[in-house]
Amino acid sequence: MTQFAFRSELWTAQYTGIKANTLASFARALKEVDDDTIYYHLYRNLFEYHFLPTDYGNSFAYWLAENGFPVLAEKFSALDLLECVCIADMRERMLDILRSDIDGIEKICKPFYFIRAVRRTIDLGIRARNLEEFREGIGKVGIHSLFYHLVTSRLYHGEPTNDFSRWLREIGEEEKAEEIDRLDLMAYSLYEVRNRILKILSES
Amino acid sequence: MLEEYSRFIDEGSLLELQKVAERLRGVKVLHVNSTKLGGGVAEILYRMVPLMNELGIETHWEVIKGDLDFFKVTKKIHNLLHLPGEEKLNHEDVITYMKYTYQNVSYIDTDPFDVIFIHDPQPLGLIVKKKRGQKWIWRCHIDVSTPDEETWKFLEMFVNGYDASIFHIPEFVREGVSIPAFVIPPSIDPLHDKNRELKEDYVHHVFNKFGIDPEKPIVLQVSRFDRLKDPIGVIEAYRIVRRRYECQLVLAGSFASDDPEGEEVYREVLEVKGDDPDVFVLNLPPNSHMEINALQRAATVVVQKSIREGFGLVVSEAMWKGKPVIGSNIGGIRRQIINGVTGYLINSIEGTAFRIKQLLADEKRREEMGRNAHERVKHSFLITRHLKDYLLLVSSLIDGG
Repeated sequence: MTQFAFRSELWTAQYTGIKANTLASFARALKEVDDDTIYYHLYRNLFEYHFLPTDYGNSFAYWLAENGFPVLAEKFSALDLLECVCIADMRERMLDILRSDIDGIEKICKPFYFIRAVRRTIDLGIRARNLEEFREGIGKVGIHSLFYHLVTSRLYHGEPTNDFSRWLREIGEEEKAEEIDRLDLMAYSLYEVRNRILKILSES
Repeated sequence: MLEEYSRFIDEGSLLELQKVAERLRGVKVLHVNSTKLGGGVAEILYRMVPLMNELGIETHWEVIKGDLDFFKVTKKIHNLLHLPGEEKLNHEDVITYMKYTYQNVSYIDTDPFDVIFIHDPQPLGLIVKKKRGQKWIWRCHIDVSTPDEETWKFLEMFVNGYDASIFHIPEFVREGVSIPAFVIPPSIDPLHDKNRELKEDYVHHVFNKFGIDPEKPIVLQVSRFDRLKDPIGVIEAYRIVRRRYECQLVLAGSFASDDPEGEEVYREVLEVKGDDPDVFVLNLPPNSHMEINALQRAATVVVQKSIREGFGLVVSEAMWKGKPVIGSNIGGIRRQIINGVTGYLINSIEGTAFRIKQLLADEKRREEMGRNAHERVKHSFLITRHLKDYLLLVSSLIDGG
């Protein structure tokens, strides 16, 4: 049986030196910045506020709302990161949204500062060889690790499924894998998600 | 010591810290700043240095030497970077700065270290000691986005010798800084007297000491007596609130004996307070951490109506105690408060009054926002997060060659 290796992804923030103060310059920057910058504003923000009932899902959406673009803000906020396996696709989707509504494109806004995530994946040294060890591991690791295995590792694997479900399928636990796959990670905090996963894993 | 923090963060986060630190075993780190006592930088280092050592990274802390002349110049530099005015850096100032920098070059031995954190502009010139293979990081704790140009030009030659800089928020970064600029917000220490849990008795003792009525709601602003903290604006907001709500206003802060402007502002505030028995203007000694802690815990609503702010960690201190904070929509304050979730961001005296009234009227909302505020700080503004960010940065600089 293959073993599951628990990892975690941590990041520091680096200012790119790029800032935008109009919708037009925002769109231009969105085209230019690297993937880790898009990652920072979409994923890091989802992680940062996962436990709070915030109005919008990412910092792009917040900036758009704050500067009087509520429709664009809603559309950006609704981007489903669980369906994303490639930052380039997400970038195109955002640019498409911006192209759909160009009113006020030169209006002067508060600046948006583009920040890049300097990402580092670490091996936590915890291994699971069976369901019981897997359950223990999930109870032990931090929420950064849950976020990595449930959300951002999709970008590494290029598949719209999470690491936990993939491994559960490998060991023949199709039903549990399916249930975890169906969890709406955008609707719960990672602490709640952990409890739900532990409950799924405990069911016989 | 790390164990003591385990009740504030989960087991998994501690494990992550240990794993990141494991990769840095053998790396020797030095922090240099301008004082061991007083101020936010010293407070952070007081905990950060032993925590790094406990994680197996040999870490030292040195303080530069200087006399009154030097620190007058560095205070002037600080003001010119943060809030440029009519004053200019003159030839004598530059000579004084360089003279003491070279004295410190002899005094502080940076050679045995792999990574050197230089905090703020006072020790910036030590970069002339940089040796091949070392990583030097400038940790800037102030807003240098709109400095006095001449002063910045003088410092820039030092700044550009560093491998990386760190700022609290991207808004504080000077345009055109040619070295990588990392964004690492400051943090609070949950074990510090400012933040640790207090017994009810002690909170009551503080009430009695200042004559505050424990039965009447309290609106609190903690800040030094400085026009940039807008204490008069807070009193005006309170007066609007008082038309409909019974409450007390506490303005707690201090001013240094060598700060004539602080004393002037304090007197102005007392004058505006007049004979209102429900307004308490408390000029506290600088180390009144437990009294401030008690006032924050006792407050119904906390306000931070600054006009300009470094980061405003006092906001996180109140949030940590489960208080919704009404703060100005500026700089570091807007990075801490999530509008409508952990408190409110405001832009005017009227807006401040409106939000104070909303919160005084609604206990359930206060409790919910207070819970969110506590969680927000736990997640993003505790020293353990700060430590992790430093370790990750060091790790990325070393791996980057």
